[in-house]
Amino acid sequence: MEKISFFDQIARNKRNSILLSVLIVSLVVALVYTIGRLLLSEFVIFFLIFAAIFMSVHVYTSYNYGDKIVLKATSAKPADPIKHIYLINTVEGLSIAAGIPPPKVYVIEDNEINAFACGKDPKHASIAVTTGALKNLNRAELEGVVGHEISHIKNYDIRFMTLVAVLVGLVAILSYLLLRSYWISRRGGKGKAGLLILVGFLLAIFAPIVSRIVQAMISRRREFLADASSVQLTRYPDGLASALGKIAKINQGKMRVSESISHLFISDPNRSPLDKLFATHPPVKERIKALRAM
Amino acid sequence: MSWIILLIIAIIIVLLVLISVYYINRIIVFSNRIDNAWAQIDVQLKKRADLVPNLVETVKGYMKHEQKAIETVTKARERMLSAGGVEDKIKAGRELAAALKTIFAIAENYPNLKASENFKLLQEQLDGIESKIAYARQFYNDSTLSYNNTISTIPGRWFAGAMHRVKRPYFEITEEERAPVRVSF
Repeated sequence: MEKISFFDQIARNKRNSILLSVLIVSLVVALVYTIGRLLLSEFVIFFLIFAAIFMSVHVYTSYNYGDKIVLKATSAKPADPIKHIYLINTVEGLSIAAGIPPPKVYVIEDNEINAFACGKDPKHASIAVTTGALKNLNRAELEGVVGHEISHIKNYDIRFMTLVAVLVGLVAILSYLLLRSYWISRRGGKGKAGLLILVGFLLAIFAPIVSRIVQAMISRRREFLADASSVQLTRYPDGLASALGKIAKINQGKMRVSESISHLFISDPNRSPLDKLFATHPPVKERIKALRAM
Repeated sequence: MSWIILLIIAIIIVLLVLISVYYINRIIVFSNRIDNAWAQIDVQLKKRADLVPNLVETVKGYMKHEQKAIETVTKARERMLSAGGVEDKIKAGRELAAALKTIFAIAENYPNLKASENFKLLQEQLDGIESKIAYARQFYNDSTLSYNNTISTIPGRWFAGAMHRVKRPYFEITEEERAPVRVSF
C-alpha cells in the first residue's frame, strides 16, 4: 500500500464531507418544499417560513445543549483530579499538541474500551473515556485514542456530526409528515399533479434511508480523518493501531448507548451484524491498515 | 476599448491587494502562533519549577545521604525562576530536567519512598508535565515550520522582506535529553 501523508488524508476527507453534507441539506429542502406543495399549495410561503423557524430552533437547541444531553445519556462523570490524573495529563498534553484549550474530562463506568468527544467548538468541548479503556490500554495506546478524540474537536467534527445527526433526525420527521400530508391531500380530493405525488411518495420512502446511509458515510470518513490527525499529534501510528486491535478483541459492542449518538464514539458501541451500509464506523481492520501505511 | 484596459487594471489591483492582505495576515497569524506556543512551554516550565519544593520536602526524609542531588535540584529551580529570555529559560529548563531525572533515578534505591502515595502522585505530575513540555515543543516546532515555510517561499518571501521578518529558530533537543539517565554512585 502506498504511503499517504496525513496532510493529504485530512484535505481529501474535508472535501468529501462537504459534498456529502450538501446532499443531506438538499434532501431536507426537497422534503419541506414537497410537503408545502402537497398540503398547503395556497399557503406554501407561510409553511416554508414556519418550517424554517421550527428547524432553526431545533438546530439551535441541539447545537448549544447537545453536549450536556449526550454526557447525561452516557452517565459520564467528571474525572477525579487525583484518581484519573494520568488521563487528565494525557488529555491536557495532547490538547497542547493540537493547540486547542484543554477540554473537560469525563469517565464512563464500562468494561468496554471506548471514548467520545462532544461540544460545539474547541472552547466548549468535553472528552469522555470508559474505565475499560483506562484499565486495558497502555500509555501509547491511550494517547492514540485520546489523540483521535482531540482531533475530532480540533477538526470541528463534534459540531459537524451534531449538526448531521440533527439533520438526519429532521429528514425522518419530515418524511413522516410528507406521508401524512399525502393522505390528507388525497382525502381532500383536490386532483394534484400526479407527478408531484409520485415524487413526494418516493421522497418520503427513500429520504430517511438515503440520509442514514449518507450519515454513516460521513461518519466513516471522519473516523479515518481523526485517525490520521491523531498520528499528527502523537507521531506514533502504532499506539492507536494497537489500541484499535485491543478494541476489536475485547469489545463486544454491548454498551447501553442510544443509536443516535453512536457515531460520536471511537468504536461503535452497539455493534450489530447489520449490513455494512449503516455502520457509522469503518471496520477496525481497515483503520489499522490505514494507520500502518502512514 | 479604453474602458476594458481600465477594468483589467482595476481587477489586477484588487487581486494584488487581496493577495497582500492574505499573506500579511498569514505571516502575522503564524508568528503569533509561535509566541503562543512558547507561552505554553513557559507555563509548563513554571509548573515544573513549582513542584520542586514539594518534591524536595517529600524526598528529604528518605534520602539522607543524597544531599548533593537535592541541592542540585533546588539550585536548578532557582536558576529556572530567575531565567530571563527564551534561550536562557530553555537552558535552565534543561538543567532542571536533568536534576529531576537524577532524583528519580536515585529514588529507585529507596523502596519506602517509591511506595509513598505522595511521591507517586508527584512522579505522575512531573511525568505529565514532561510530556506536556514535549507536546508544547512539538506544537512550537510545527508552528515555526509553517511560519518559516511561508516567509521563505514566493510570494511570502517578498512580504516578509518588507515587514522585516526573519526565520525563527526551532526548539531543538540535545543528545543528552534523548539518552536515558545514568547515575553513578
